[in-house]
Amino acid sequence: MVNIGFQIVHFVITILFFIFLVATNAVIMVYLERKVMALMQDRVGPKHYGPFGSLQSTYDVLKLLLKEIVRSRETDNAIFMLAPMIFFAPVLTAFVMLPFSPFMTTSALGTGILLYVALSSLDVIGVFMAGWGSNSKYSLIGGLRSTAQMISYELPLLLSLVGVVMLTSFVSHNGIGSISFTDIINAQMHPWWLWFVLLQPLGLIIYYTCGLAETNRAPFDLPEAESELVAGYLTEYSGMQWAMFFLGEYGNMLIVSSVATALFLGGWSGPGADLAFWHAHVTANPGGIFSVADLIFNVIAVFWFLVKVYALQGIFIWVRTTLPRLRADQLMQYAWLILIPMTLLNILVTAVLLLAVPQPYTLWVTGGVNFLLLIGYIILLTRAIGASPKGTLPPWVEARKRAARTGLGAPGLPKPPAASLPPGEPEPAASR
Amino acid sequence: MATVNEAPRYEEGAEGFRTEEMILNMGPQHPSTHGVLRLVMTLEGETVTHCTPVIGYLHRGIEKILENRTYMAGIRYMDNADYLSPMLNETAYAGAVEQLMGIEPPRRAQYIRLITNEMQRIASHLVAIGTYLLDLGAFTPILYCFRDREGLLELFEEVAGSRFNVNYMRVGGVLHDLPTGWLQRLESWLDKFDNSWKELDVLITGNEIFMKRTQGVGYIDPDQAVAFGMTGPILRASGVNWDLRVNRPYGAYREIPVNPVVREDGDAFGRYMCRLYEMKESARLIREAMAALPGGPICTRTPIALRPPRGETYFAVESSKGELGIYLISDGTEYPYRAKIRGPSFVNLQIVPELMRGHKMGDVVAILGSIDLVLGEVDR
Repeated sequence: MVNIGFQIVHFVITILFFIFLVATNAVIMVYLERKVMALMQDRVGPKHYGPFGSLQSTYDVLKLLLKEIVRSRETDNAIFMLAPMIFFAPVLTAFVMLPFSPFMTTSALGTGILLYVALSSLDVIGVFMAGWGSNSKYSLIGGLRSTAQMISYELPLLLSLVGVVMLTSFVSHNGIGSISFTDIINAQMHPWWLWFVLLQPLGLIIYYTCGLAETNRAPFDLPEAESELVAGYLTEYSGMQWAMFFLGEYGNMLIVSSVATALFLGGWSGPGADLAFWHAHVTANPGGIFSVADLIFNVIAVFWFLVKVYALQGIFIWVRTTLPRLRADQLMQYAWLILIPMTLLNILVTAVLLLAVPQPYTLWVTGGVNFLLLIGYIILLTRAIGASPKGTLPPWVEARKRAARTGLGAPGLPKPPAASLPPGEPEPAASR
Repeated sequence: MATVNEAPRYEEGAEGFRTEEMILNMGPQHPSTHGVLRLVMTLEGETVTHCTPVIGYLHRGIEKILENRTYMAGIRYMDNADYLSPMLNETAYAGAVEQLMGIEPPRRAQYIRLITNEMQRIASHLVAIGTYLLDLGAFTPILYCFRDREGLLELFEEVAGSRFNVNYMRVGGVLHDLPTGWLQRLESWLDKFDNSWKELDVLITGNEIFMKRTQGVGYIDPDQAVAFGMTGPILRASGVNWDLRVNRPYGAYREIPVNPVVREDGDAFGRYMCRLYEMKESARLIREAMAALPGGPICTRTPIALRPPRGETYFAVESSKGELGIYLISDGTEYPYRAKIRGPSFVNLQIVPELMRGHKMGDVVAILGSIDLVLGEVDR
């Protein structure tokens, strides 16, 4: 029988841990983002408050807390006030099913992936409410863009996870797949380095791309594209309401990275994260349910999980420093014409291989083919975008070439440009 | 004051919904209008149907100020016209006065003018490219560009005493001779710049998202470019080989030939590439001029009070944005009777409404940035 007292303590500890994590993660990430970006951009970054400016984001938070909430007279009050909360609530809720270690799990839900996808779709409502309730044109366009974007990227995001679920059915002992995060992490433990990123690299890349779009990060930060829309749906917000969106966005980044870690990077698996080893070697066992060996194991597990999460969040920063942003219609094209077909193909190929290839070679072949698919995807991407440094020829050059080829004068063709202007004239002699 | 093109139209959409055009006011305080340009745009969904630029928020009456200053004192006010290329502005004004008076600066002064002008062109193009990429959402290039530009501004400070509003050109030459060791420092800056140029090229040019955002966007065909009076990189990116440094050479450009950068793209990408390669060409010109730098005086002797003979003149230089012309009328006194600046930014702005029509909202900044406006010169 389970110890009720232990369960309550466990629940309190984990809830506090996650709330603390969401709040501090934003502060840490803002600081890291500014410092890492500064490093990449050949500048110093924050440096005044605390050692190496490390208290900068703490002061920023204090400023936001003390700031007056200013809003326009024209806002639709109820919607405007509710929007940040509705945006933030699913973010906090999503931590329910994320396992940071066997102990640091609020509830090992059997329907983990399903709940995660459901909650991440809820964010859209908050964003759209913010855009609509602000009663401002920039906010409206930002909100609309964001809604379209988040809904579109929901699909490839979900589909890219299907490959992983199929793999669990193969790897697990009973042959039944699972959508529970804990089960999926456990499936990657035999041996501990057999992470699904080795078998599904394409899945991880697509999932991560969709994650960038879900969290409105560069290069998909159109809803808040400052050069076009000032700040998108955030334009009219200030003070703590604004900070709520900010916190939610960074919380979303944390969730996306955590899910990627759990599903593709083996969760807490890493050197030293081995429960049997610690049980065998740590003899000091005061008895009870939670032993010292468990404690050591869980600390190491959380450590590895966080290392992977922050490595992935670092890539968020790296991407933001490097890439310009896409245009709204190009963004949609990318989701519907490239990502969704690619994920469907991935599902099909993985399923066929898992069924068709005989036992000892299955994983090798699946992994190998998926790497080939990844390369194909990258080639497709450059082709589909149609970009080449040489550039496409403008219509008037093409028309001229066509005319030269066929020997027919193209009607309405501009004259060769050099002839339309006089060649260099001599200087007027009088004034020199 | 601007007139908004027309009242919003109400239409029955295909599905029977009533749709409405939206008027969006972009600027004058907007993160990407490069100063205080105001664009009144009529949007249908995300598509721009009309666009009216509203200018005049930065009007300081520079032309009128020039009429109320002596010829020598006017040079300083030219710095503020196109505030990203003061050296070029001053060269234009000083050149116009010289042409009016019929004097020729010494060879050394002309070479120094060429060197500083090309430095200024690099600095201006660096800002153009950096801010353009910032508009498109890439955060890093602007910092790389400004880092390189900083070196140039330091060199300007050494030679002219001021980083930004240099006030360096004089009628009949330049203010100071080059300080000791300045040429070596410029040389080492150029060596560094070669690497930075490659860095920029690698970071930006091959980027698929950047190409997708710029290729085919804001397309100007050559006839249109000539008809709208485009000059500078915009004209050359449309395939028209027209560069005042080549076609009507002035100063030291008569001795140092320029290879103009001409591209046939005609779109925003072509204009970007044109600027990028013009920086390389400018670096080459500086090196050549440094190697051939003659000795001698840096300024001809002119009377303390300049009184050009009665008459009028037009003198134009190839600024970083295009043809920067100064039209002067002298009535024989110490003050110009009329001074008119033909600002390339102002003329280039004309084509913006034409280019915007039918493009998406996201392309507005991609087009505006590729035109490379400086509102100080548009409004004057």
